[in-house]
Amino acid sequence: MTGFDTICEKCEELLQPYLDRDLDDSERREAESHLEGCGYCQRRYHFETSLRRIVRSACSEEMSPELKAKLASLRTPLS
Amino acid sequence: MAEPETEARRLASDARDRVRFEEEVLDLSDQVYRVARRLVPTREEAEDLVQETYARAFRSWRSYTPGTNLRAWLMRILTNLNIDRGRREQRTPDTRPMEEGDYFLYNRLEETSGTNDEERIAERLSQDSIVDALSNVPHDFRDAIVLVDIGDFSYQDAAQILDIPIGTVMSRLHRGRRILKRELAETAVGEES
Repeated sequence: MTGFDTICEKCEELLQPYLDRDLDDSERREAESHLEGCGYCQRRYHFETSLRRIVRSACSEEMSPELKAKLASLRTPLS
Repeated sequence: MAEPETEARRLASDARDRVRFEEEVLDLSDQVYRVARRLVPTREEAEDLVQETYARAFRSWRSYTPGTNLRAWLMRILTNLNIDRGRREQRTPDTRPMEEGDYFLYNRLEETSGTNDEERIAERLSQDSIVDALSNVPHDFRDAIVLVDIGDFSYQDAAQILDIPIGTVMSRLHRGRRILKRELAETAVGEES
C-alpha cells in the first residue's frame, strides 16, 4: 500500500469545474498544467471520471418495447 | 380567401411538418425515458410520465420552434407534468443529508483498500446500490444530477428545464454529487470500517 498523499488545495478548487468544462481558457490551462505535475490530483481526476461513467451506466435503464409502441400510437392519425 | 389549390398545398405542407416533428420526437424517446426513470421512484410512474409527455408534445407541436433544442423542449414538458401531478416526493425538510468534500469517497476507498482503480470501484458498488444512492439524494439536487450527468444536458439547458438560474444548477449539481458520493461511500465502505 502506498503512503497517503499530502492534501492538495488546488484539487477541490479546480478539478470539479474542470471536469464539468466550466472554466475559462486561462483557468483551464492552469488546471491542465497543474494536473500534469500533481499525482494527487491526477488520481482523483481519473477516479472522478470513472465514477461518473459508472453512475451513468448503472442508472441508465432501457425503455420497454411496449412503451415504445404506445408512444408511436399516440401520433396524430393521418387523415 | 385562399384559392382551393393553395389551401390544399398549405395543408399538405403542414401535415409533412407535423409528421417530421413526430418522428424526431419519437427518435428521442430512449433518452427521454432514461431521464424520466431517475426522476421518479418507479418504472410504472416513469412510463406514465413519458406517455403523458408524448401525448402533450404531439398535441402542442406548433408551440415548438424549429431549430431550437427539441430534447430540452420535451424535457421541460416532462418536468412540468411531473410537478403538476404532484409526483415528486414531499419537499425535504430542513435536515439536509450530511455532505462531505468532493473527494470523500475517493479518500474513504483509499483508506480501506489502498487502491482506487475503476475495477475496484465497480466491484464494490453494485448497480442496485448506485441506483439506491442516487434515489436517496433529495430531489432538488437529484434533478440536476439526472439532467446533466445522465441526460447529458448542458447547465444552460438544465436551467431552462428546471426554471432556475444557471448558478443554482451548478451549486445543486456540486452539492448533489457530494451527497451522492457520501451515500456511495456508506455502501462501499460503511460495513468494513
